[in-house]
Amino acid sequence: MGTMGKAFYNVGFWIRETGQALDRLGCRLQGKNHFREQLSRHRTLMNVYDKAPYVNKEAFVAPSASITGDVHVGRGSSIWYGCVLRGDANSISVGAGTSIQDNSLVHVAKSNLSGKVLPTVIGDNVTIGHSAVLHGCTVEDEAYIGASATVLDGAHVEKNAMVASGALVRQNTRIPSGEVWGGNPARFLRKVTEEERAFFSSLAADYSNLAQVHAAENTKDLDETDFKKLLYKKNASDAEYDSVLNDLTLPENVPKAA
Amino acid sequence: MATSLARISRRGIAYALSSNLIRRSFAAEAVVLKTTEVPKPISEVTPSPDRVKWDYRGQRQIIPLGQWLPKVAVDAYVAPNVVLAGQVTVWDGSSVWNGAVLRGDLNKITLGFCSNVQERCVVHAAWSSPTGLPAETLIDRYVTVGAYSLLRSCTIEPECIIGQHSILMEGSLVETRSILEAGSVLPPGRRIPSGELWGGNPARFIRTLTNEETLEIPKLAVAINHLSGDYFSEYLPYSTVYLEVEKFKKSLGIAV
Repeated sequence: MGTMGKAFYNVGFWIRETGQALDRLGCRLQGKNHFREQLSRHRTLMNVYDKAPYVNKEAFVAPSASITGDVHVGRGSSIWYGCVLRGDANSISVGAGTSIQDNSLVHVAKSNLSGKVLPTVIGDNVTIGHSAVLHGCTVEDEAYIGASATVLDGAHVEKNAMVASGALVRQNTRIPSGEVWGGNPARFLRKVTEEERAFFSSLAADYSNLAQVHAAENTKDLDETDFKKLLYKKNASDAEYDSVLNDLTLPENVPKAA
Repeated sequence: MATSLARISRRGIAYALSSNLIRRSFAAEAVVLKTTEVPKPISEVTPSPDRVKWDYRGQRQIIPLGQWLPKVAVDAYVAPNVVLAGQVTVWDGSSVWNGAVLRGDLNKITLGFCSNVQERCVVHAAWSSPTGLPAETLIDRYVTVGAYSLLRSCTIEPECIIGQHSILMEGSLVETRSILEAGSVLPPGRRIPSGELWGGNPARFIRTLTNEETLEIPKLAVAINHLSGDYFSEYLPYSTVYLEVEKFKKSLGIAV
């Protein structure tokens, strides 16, 4: 049986080599328009000369995020898919338990109109919504930056404050504690209610837990993902198909076959 | 003469036999030696202790979470930049363009027939919706979602256009054949009636759509479907990156 296995192994190699040769032939036929795939050069953590990011072991950083330069990410924080944290001109520090949701951009200012160069400081348990843009600002603990909000240079969002979705917080605006600001340009809307305050802290904890699930899934290597694919194929069931299947029962008054 | 011949032949045979035997025994020893001694790689590769700085695999496109596996139809175009996580279903003829993130980890996301989610959108589903209805994000057929939008637990009925950089918050409903202008923000629970054009932050009524405009909506979706067909045909069914990986590993001396 050993020789049979060896024979199959060799035949497998012949077929693979043939396939690769055909691939090269096809590339040549495509001429100058052909595309050869390269390894992904995306660097999740990248240093700019001597400024290297420091990410806590317990934090979740999505592989498609880009963290470059002088960035410090605290314990239990999560940086979701597609985020860009560019700490090249100055430093960014993200506290513990903070979540920076998908496609956000945290950038620092090297020069701005007022001449002040500001690092971006994000406190603990902050939730920064999807597609937010934070540029050279300070966000204190337990704040909530709504989805697609833009917070510009020198802005200071205090503890438990909330920036509504789609808001544009202009330069050097100070958002006092416990207030909701929104609109373009951002102005005071209302005060944060008690339940919203509790909601923020529970939200941060929820996202932290969710991040661990994503972290576990993203760090799987080829064997584990293949195994999982196999399991899915075996247990594949479509909810709609199954529900229709369950409906195929004989009505009550039809006599069953004897 | 015969005896000497016999002697020579005997000696020759003996010699051949013995040398063969010796050679075979050496060969056996050599084989034993080879199997016991594993060839050492030229350079020792140690994984980084705390965090992987660079993974040649990049970001996986489809991320199953728990028992949920994102499902992509066979003729749907999903760009390689896209991240589909959790309960996401991309139906036939639809397309998800570069950089979009469809995160169905808390609730279901469905992208209907011939719809498209354009570049850098974020589609997320919250755990619960303020309206009390199921908080899944449902994008029905022939919907065009413009670039850089944010859709959160909303329902978009058939044949709509959502403008670029729009934000649809939890529980919002965009009824069939309506258009949302670029940059519009729908607060939670907002409903856009059928056949109207809304826009602004927060979204306000602008005007009703004429019949011709309503007929253009599915045409736009179909046009983007054709465009996505071109992109789809550019990609081989399976990536050939593994060849580069093998070359790479060989140059580093890691066993392939």
